[in-house]
Amino acid sequence: MIRLGVLLVAVVGLGFGQFLAAAEPIRLTTDGRVKRDPVFSKPDGSELLFAVLDRPKQLRLMKLTLASGKVESLHPDETRSEFEPAVSRDGRFLAFVQNRGNLSLAMVIKDLMNGHQVDVPPGGGFSGMHSPAIAPDNLRVLYSYPEDGRQHLFSVGIDAKNPTRLVDSSGVNNWPSFSPDGQQVVFSSTRDGDYDLYVMKSDGTDVRRLTDSPKQDIRPRWSPDGRRIVFTSNRDGNYEIYSVAPDGSGLSRVTNHPEQDDFATWSPDGRRLVFVAERDGHQDLVSVEP
Amino acid sequence: MFDVGTFRAKTCDRAGRRAFLRVGAALPWMLGGLAVDEVVRAAAATRAKSIIFVWLWGAPSHIDTFDPKPDAPMEYRGPFTPISTRTPGLMVSELLPRLAARSHKYTVVRSNVTSEPGHPDAGTVGLTGFKEKPEPVRPNFGSIISKFRGHRGSLPPFVSVGRGIPRDVVRKVDGYGGGTLGKTFDPFMVSCSDLGEVEIPALQLLDGLTPNRVSDRRALLSLVDEVPRQLEALGIDEWDRTFQRAYGLLTTPAARAAFDLTAEPQKMRDGYGQTTFGQSCLLARRLVEAGVPYIQVNWSEYVESITPNCDFGWDTHIYNFELLQDTHCPIFDRAYSALLDDLDSRGLLKHTLVVAMGEFGRTPRINGRAARDHWPRCYFSLWSGAGIEPGRVIGASDKYAEDPITEGITPLMVGTTISELAGMDAQARAELRVLDGGSVIHELV
Repeated sequence: MIRLGVLLVAVVGLGFGQFLAAAEPIRLTTDGRVKRDPVFSKPDGSELLFAVLDRPKQLRLMKLTLASGKVESLHPDETRSEFEPAVSRDGRFLAFVQNRGNLSLAMVIKDLMNGHQVDVPPGGGFSGMHSPAIAPDNLRVLYSYPEDGRQHLFSVGIDAKNPTRLVDSSGVNNWPSFSPDGQQVVFSSTRDGDYDLYVMKSDGTDVRRLTDSPKQDIRPRWSPDGRRIVFTSNRDGNYEIYSVAPDGSGLSRVTNHPEQDDFATWSPDGRRLVFVAERDGHQDLVSVEP
Repeated sequence: MFDVGTFRAKTCDRAGRRAFLRVGAALPWMLGGLAVDEVVRAAAATRAKSIIFVWLWGAPSHIDTFDPKPDAPMEYRGPFTPISTRTPGLMVSELLPRLAARSHKYTVVRSNVTSEPGHPDAGTVGLTGFKEKPEPVRPNFGSIISKFRGHRGSLPPFVSVGRGIPRDVVRKVDGYGGGTLGKTFDPFMVSCSDLGEVEIPALQLLDGLTPNRVSDRRALLSLVDEVPRQLEALGIDEWDRTFQRAYGLLTTPAARAAFDLTAEPQKMRDGYGQTTFGQSCLLARRLVEAGVPYIQVNWSEYVESITPNCDFGWDTHIYNFELLQDTHCPIFDRAYSALLDDLDSRGLLKHTLVVAMGEFGRTPRINGRAARDHWPRCYFSLWSGAGIEPGRVIGASDKYAEDPITEGITPLMVGTTISELAGMDAQARAELRVLDGGSVIHELV
């Protein structure tokens, strides 16, 4: 378990090799602004995307280059909020949520090799997609979408065609994450009352419960080697990062701090976790060994 | 940092006139307000020397925050688990752990009701106690306190901290200001960034007017000389009087200091969180210390929770659970807790009334988009300080939080109670012809 209260090794500009080798927690950003959704965007782990409250009226996608510590806007000319980026394992495809109008959000799927972009448009009225996840074979994107008072998991082709409802249960189903072989998906669901983790086959069958706590278990992320799932839980009273094996065994706590730790993501080699850490009222990206 | 910014009107005569008029409208306390008849009474019954009114614009879900219903069916109660508080029997949402630990510093009202289901209309009712129609629009509670207390010293009596007049994408709230008392009693608007940078838009008089230059009267006069035609068009005497009062604010060290968050220890600033709302709450505390009678802290300018060019209000028709969990509740939980702690530790809470509320609640039954819509029939408010016995729950809602099962507490009762705690009794209200027909919330006075 890592106690992050005191020790946060500096920081920005740390070489990429050092980033991979460091045993201590590393703070990757220093601006302290409200952040969310970090995800590695290159297979070699050299680059991160995340969303930041860049100005009072916009969540903006940012790119962090670890070798230089440089943080820059991914879409500098964009004025609408964009968040929840997801990147394919090979770094070719990017999916994210984009605010299109009043309480209306689309999902954008972009081929970074050729710049081609397709959309899953918002439904009628107030509606929006949540939490895209790209399948390891680059053929499908899972996402969460509300209908009929419930929030389901859908699957859509990488070309944004043929949306199919995968998970239809009571409550909210959200934050899908593929196993490395693409055969399984872990997600959170409130079907049994509060948010707990569930695992299913990637076709939506064989749903089984993974965690059972009286608090929230949210935002699961499957490790690249398939052996662990990290997630956020407030089972101790505030948001911390936890880890569990895909069969539900070996629950362990990764962080322990009186302020929030949330939005964990794995480095592509599985050697580090990056998450949003709130420290002294400031939110920054921090990297730790899991 | 104290920043009056720059003004974009350039040298266009018409723009310059508009700029002046904007100043004139936004700084009414510097104008004729000083000459109005004052109805200042002895402060024998004054329990609240200052009031901080935290306006949770967009309307937070009551069932997901301060009125959870764990035994309701899934389609009502939502995904969040209630947690115990320091007050025996009081449960609040798990999204508010800091405020749960501080329940001995506030009292929850769970039986607020309003008449209007739409934002601007309910905003006016929530801020004035009366509907927008028929006109005229009634004065904001802060304007009433401002008139009652009068203008003393160099600071305005009613300060609104936020990015602008509360509004939705269609229009502004009519009841934001002086109403029938006149624009003289409109709030003095300031805004505060997540880094604690304070801006006073109304003082963005002229290009080149910076904090350094503003303390240099010769530089100011030089700027004035650059726009003689505007002055002539406007009437030099009045413009000069307005300008001098604005200048007086900016060049009075104590007044300037009240707006300077850099004077706070870093640890204190951190405690409120690096968010616009957090730093706005800290600014409110400084203004209380400086003797400002009424400070309205706006959560956002726009109600819309996720709309282009809107600043993430509480109007969660979609993404309700995600936004409450990811941003809104953590930010509110941290900042409001820090505010109560800060006021308490300085001994200010005894004489400061702190009220937090939105314009209505949200549908207890989850909507088709797995979120919550408007619900005027039942919502919550938080009350602290000014001698109010904390750690209580006043009023109760039914099993699904759809309606109060006790007397409904209206915005007019909220305003009347605020005025009463500020030392303004029924006779004073009648003399000012405000809050007519209002009754106090007896459990709070």
